[in-house]
Amino acid sequence: MSVKLTALLKSPWVFHLSTGSCNNCDIEILDCLTPRFDIERFGMLLAGSIRHADVLLVTGSANRKSMERVKRLYEQVPKPCLVVAIGECALSRGMFINSYNCPVPVDKIIPVDVYIPGCPPRPEAIIAGIVKLIGKVKAQAQ
Amino acid sequence: MTREDVLKDFKGKFAGDILEFTDKSPQRVYVEIKPGSIKKAALFLFKDLGARFNIATGLDARRHLEILYHFTLEDINLLLSLRVKLPKPFKTSSPAATGGGPMDSPPTTGGNDGFVPEIDSLAPLFEAANWVEREIHELLGINFRGHPDMRKLLLSDDWPEGVYPLRRDYKEWDPKAIRDRGV
Amino acid sequence: MNLFYLVVYGFFLTAALGLFASWVDRKVTARVQYRVGPPLLQPLIDLVKLLGKENLVPAGASRAIFFAAPVAGLASVILVSTFLWLNNFDPSRTFGGDLIVVLYLLAIPSISIMMGGFASGNPYASLGASREMKAILSYELPFILAVLVPVIKASHSLRLGEIVQAQMQRGAVAASPSGLLALAVAILCVQAKLGLVPFDMAEAESEIVSGPLVEYSGPALALYRLTKNMLLFVLPFFLIILFLGGVQRGSGPVFFGVLKLIGLVAVLTVIRNTNPRVRIDQAVRFFWGPVTAGAILAVALALFGK
Repeated sequence: MSVKLTALLKSPWVFHLSTGSCNNCDIEILDCLTPRFDIERFGMLLAGSIRHADVLLVTGSANRKSMERVKRLYEQVPKPCLVVAIGECALSRGMFINSYNCPVPVDKIIPVDVYIPGCPPRPEAIIAGIVKLIGKVKAQAQ
Repeated sequence: MTREDVLKDFKGKFAGDILEFTDKSPQRVYVEIKPGSIKKAALFLFKDLGARFNIATGLDARRHLEILYHFTLEDINLLLSLRVKLPKPFKTSSPAATGGGPMDSPPTTGGNDGFVPEIDSLAPLFEAANWVEREIHELLGINFRGHPDMRKLLLSDDWPEGVYPLRRDYKEWDPKAIRDRGV
Repeated sequence: MNLFYLVVYGFFLTAALGLFASWVDRKVTARVQYRVGPPLLQPLIDLVKLLGKENLVPAGASRAIFFAAPVAGLASVILVSTFLWLNNFDPSRTFGGDLIVVLYLLAIPSISIMMGGFASGNPYASLGASREMKAILSYELPFILAVLVPVIKASHSLRLGEIVQAQMQRGAVAASPSGLLALAVAILCVQAKLGLVPFDMAEAESEIVSGPLVEYSGPALALYRLTKNMLLFVLPFFLIILFLGGVQRGSGPVFFGVLKLIGLVAVLTVIRNTNPRVRIDQAVRFFWGPVTAGAILAVALALFGK
């Protein structure tokens, strides 16, 4: 595996992007950053600006207003970048599947690498999802 | 003022305008009034009785569009709701009667036939009514006469005019939307 | 010989020790917060990862200054560390006024952050850069006054080598009351210079989205972070040379030197973990009020021979 990819997997800076969620998934993501689960031992830091991000944690069903903004934000992330969809709303619009304001799920707007189901997913589930993401990236690099 | 005084005052002042009075519980009273007298009633509640305009809610019943204006009197724990019914025009044949389904006709506009009822706006009286009426206008399609700033509030900019999503006969207008479970 | 010092001591050794100091800072912070911290090589892995990312420049930015600013900051830190290592190991190579040269060069990293912020074309960046400007105006004065104390103690000489030699003969400057007070003032000024809490309003993370660095990505950001990590070593080293006697050759003094370095970094970390962030006007009032008064008192005490 190349040096670039190893360094990316050992020091992924996460950026939390909410496209119009009820904030439950956001609270669970913040739970992951607390000392109880301590993701800094894996090198993960919360990036302040989107231009410092390696992993985008997307929550919320992308409604019409935030669709174009999500596209613009994805263009602002320096590649290589991994996208993680967290929560039911980000996977498939969740309970808003029949809503007038959510035409498409998030993975029709930006490419998603890992899906973490749950409403909201527990911090353990989020960490398990990130571990699967790292495994998937390593397997793809072989 | 006690609860009974408030209600007697209100009933006395607007005897001709009240269509129905529902005393639902010690904290909830529903009053149905004529659409033309909403401004007088709101002004009376605000100035003379000291009530606070809380929020306004709207819904699409089968034969009319309804707006509820909620006023609270916190000292006596009373939530007074003024109901206003705006009747829809009488239609001889409805799509449901002729056997229409979700994907029967191609999605064009929202399916409503340009029916936009009108009512006086409360925005000149209460600054709080400004955004509330903008939201009701864009989602239910009710025109508020005298509103200073009728723009879209919540819907996105590429939403077509005249399509009101919270109406009963709303159909999906966007051909790029993924609607394999019907709207 | 000079080139050897510049490249090996000035860059590589300082970078290694700076990354180590940054790891000490993060590990102590983690332990204070009752969690496990990052592994030892984490700052280096951060740097390597950033070097491999795409380099994006916003459309409204002026490209020349956008890229020149981090390079200028890194260059000045390398120069400063070369001077410090030279004078530490070989005090006879000092030249007249090199203390003033070092002080001037130490102002450049903060100015490079400011330049980068203003060149970004982003309102958050401009806000952060203007805060950084006000912060520089506030902490430079007590820093220079505090640096006057070892100058006075070394018989009024502005040469770094003579300050080191004076401490070898007469004992560390920090052993006297004026020296101790000056060291305290200098530690507060170093905290502000490094942009650590409580004085990190320029780069306030949750408030103005990482301030002047908001538009930087990839290698340019790596240079900024490397500059900050090297400063985390160079500034305590500067304080050790001025106040604590420098690091002499020989295994015993080197061991004590490393202990002095870790001790100073730990003091900075503890101050960082026990304080909230202050506003810019509170910081300016703090530095021009009590801290400058303390520095003037220390200079007065030193002039009276204490």
